[in-house]
Amino acid sequence: MKVINLLTSSVLVTLLMLTFPIMMTSTTMYANKSYPQYVKTATSYAFVISLIPTMMFLHLGQDTMISNWHWITIQTMKLSLSFKLDYFSMIFMPVALFVTWSIMEFSMWYMHSDPNINRFFKYLLLFLITMMILVTANNMFQLFIGWEGVGIMSFLLIGWWYGRTDANTAALQAILYNRIGDVGLILAMAWFLMNLNTWDLQQIFMTSNENLTIPLAGLLLAATGKSAQFGLHPWLPSAMEGPTPVSALLHSSTMVVAGVFLLIRFHPLMEYNKTIQTITLCLGAITTLFTAICALTQNDIKKIVAFSTSSQLGLMMVTIGINQPYLAFLHICTHAFFKAMLFMCSGSIIHSLNDEQDIRKMGGLFKALPFTTTSLIVGSLALTGMPFLTGFYSKDLIIETANTSCTNAWALLLTLVATSMTAAYSTRIMFFALLGQPRFNPIITINENNPLLINSIKRLLFGSIFAGFLISHNLTPTTTPQMTMPHYLKMMALAVTILGFILALELNLTMQSLKFKYPTNLFKFSNMLGYFPTIIHRLMPKTNLLMSQKSASTLLDMIWLEKILPKSISHFQMKSSMIISSQKGLIKLYFMSFMLTLTLSLLTLNFHE
Amino acid sequence: MSVVYINIFLAFTLSFMGLLIYRSHLMSSLLCLEGMMLSLFVMMTVTILANHFTLASMTPIILLVFAACEAALGLSLLVMISSTYGTDYVQNLNLLQC
Repeated sequence: MKVINLLTSSVLVTLLMLTFPIMMTSTTMYANKSYPQYVKTATSYAFVISLIPTMMFLHLGQDTMISNWHWITIQTMKLSLSFKLDYFSMIFMPVALFVTWSIMEFSMWYMHSDPNINRFFKYLLLFLITMMILVTANNMFQLFIGWEGVGIMSFLLIGWWYGRTDANTAALQAILYNRIGDVGLILAMAWFLMNLNTWDLQQIFMTSNENLTIPLAGLLLAATGKSAQFGLHPWLPSAMEGPTPVSALLHSSTMVVAGVFLLIRFHPLMEYNKTIQTITLCLGAITTLFTAICALTQNDIKKIVAFSTSSQLGLMMVTIGINQPYLAFLHICTHAFFKAMLFMCSGSIIHSLNDEQDIRKMGGLFKALPFTTTSLIVGSLALTGMPFLTGFYSKDLIIETANTSCTNAWALLLTLVATSMTAAYSTRIMFFALLGQPRFNPIITINENNPLLINSIKRLLFGSIFAGFLISHNLTPTTTPQMTMPHYLKMMALAVTILGFILALELNLTMQSLKFKYPTNLFKFSNMLGYFPTIIHRLMPKTNLLMSQKSASTLLDMIWLEKILPKSISHFQMKSSMIISSQKGLIKLYFMSFMLTLTLSLLTLNFHE
Repeated sequence: MSVVYINIFLAFTLSFMGLLIYRSHLMSSLLCLEGMMLSLFVMMTVTILANHFTLASMTPIILLVFAACEAALGLSLLVMISSTYGTDYVQNLNLLQC
């Protein structure tokens, strides 16, 4: 039927349209001043066209698969280029394209004075393409291509200002931590190849095996690396060295959700494995609490938002752990809107204050930047789950489901504490950046009159307010949400959030006029990120290198091979000969006396028969 | 004794004299030591071949092996002296200093 053809061709046109600006690189368009505008327009057209297959999918309710080009057949495994257009990829594509469109418009304002702005847009577009490949992949090979692609683009974009040492270190850190996660993904791929003889998702889901713990553990490790769960998390706050559009696109809405997306893709396998679900739940709970604690005492506005992202990622893992993949996916989509907007508002504040990122040096922006203030407050409220904004439809549902499921009570408690801390650090951002008297330099560079800036934030503002409502009311129903629960459980999320707000506000107001004495141990723990980077980045490599130097170089080479026999013998001989001997070294005299003696004896003792 | 044996014996004696009487360089005594070894080797080989004493045919080779070892020892002594004093003049060795 023609209707079905329109769906597949629209998807392919969307993906193809994104590659046109890349193919224009070798022409004169790339050296033009209007290349960023061209890229932004291409992304917006791709967004509009991608709405067609999404609407058709929501109407028809059936999954589609496009299988184009048979690449290679290795013995019994067939690899081809195939796209899986199911619930997850169909809804994620327009959301990602919408957010990327707004971010590209924002970065036209933010990176205006950069001479390499064309290359920046090319990198952003390459990132978007690889993310689309990851999301629509139907076999694990294509997913791996997208996975590695987003990792590489993350490296290139974090180290955008490569003259800065910290940026290079942060980019390398991102690659290293992601690599550790990639080992898990390769483990899962190898297991599937050896035991199920395929990399196609359909065949993996059909052949139900008994014990899937090994590949699922591999996938969990991959998600830990890519989505910055506890243990492999330090790269995410360090990745804030990149420009703000990069932070908004990669490290808030799109790349870091790739790990969670992977687990959501494989949810039919995870449904029956209680061990992996428990591990995911506990890992997510630890992550969300730990990063929320770290966010409470940071002073860089981008780092606070980065830790907020990490905390929400932990919440998504908790949702997967209680066997609700669709809720986690909904949270991914709604989270993209307000987190990208929070980063863009931070970017607006930073540029207006002449590249000042420390919140202790901001203040009084409530009247000076009204639009940015509005969107920052709306974004923070959406993040904390204020009723009937975007975050409410996903976050509140998650907390309710967690409350009413027979799950690990400790993990649940951690999640609730982290939810109240979310409100606390959001209050902190708003208090320090917006309220009070100004603490920045009196030279006024504050300007938010640029239409590029205002339009992009305005679009995401509408998304932050309405997208939750629109998306959740138009989805095909999947798992039934919990309808009835006691009063106190229903009000739990709201209550802890309000508690967090009130506590943070009271503390900030009270402590405002007090002098800051020496930091306590708890403050130091939170400010130094739990000492995790300090220990892991310095202590472990130093221990390894020290051990190898001591055992291989010192012990084996120097001591056993050199010192024990040869050097000790020579040393002993020299010392003893110096002490004992009484010779004077007159060699020629000794030789002469020897010769004389020999000759004389031969001459005189010759008389025999 | 035949002329051959006297010839070789004379070579040995001359090298022996050269080992014991030398002027300044330690290297010359080492060279004479090698000459002694060479003459001994030739004498031993000629004797064994002339008398068809096949059971002892191994002995010249063993002699060569030991000669190589002692040459190495002598050279290492030379190197020690030369690294301490810069040259191998014998008059440097008047005091036993290490």
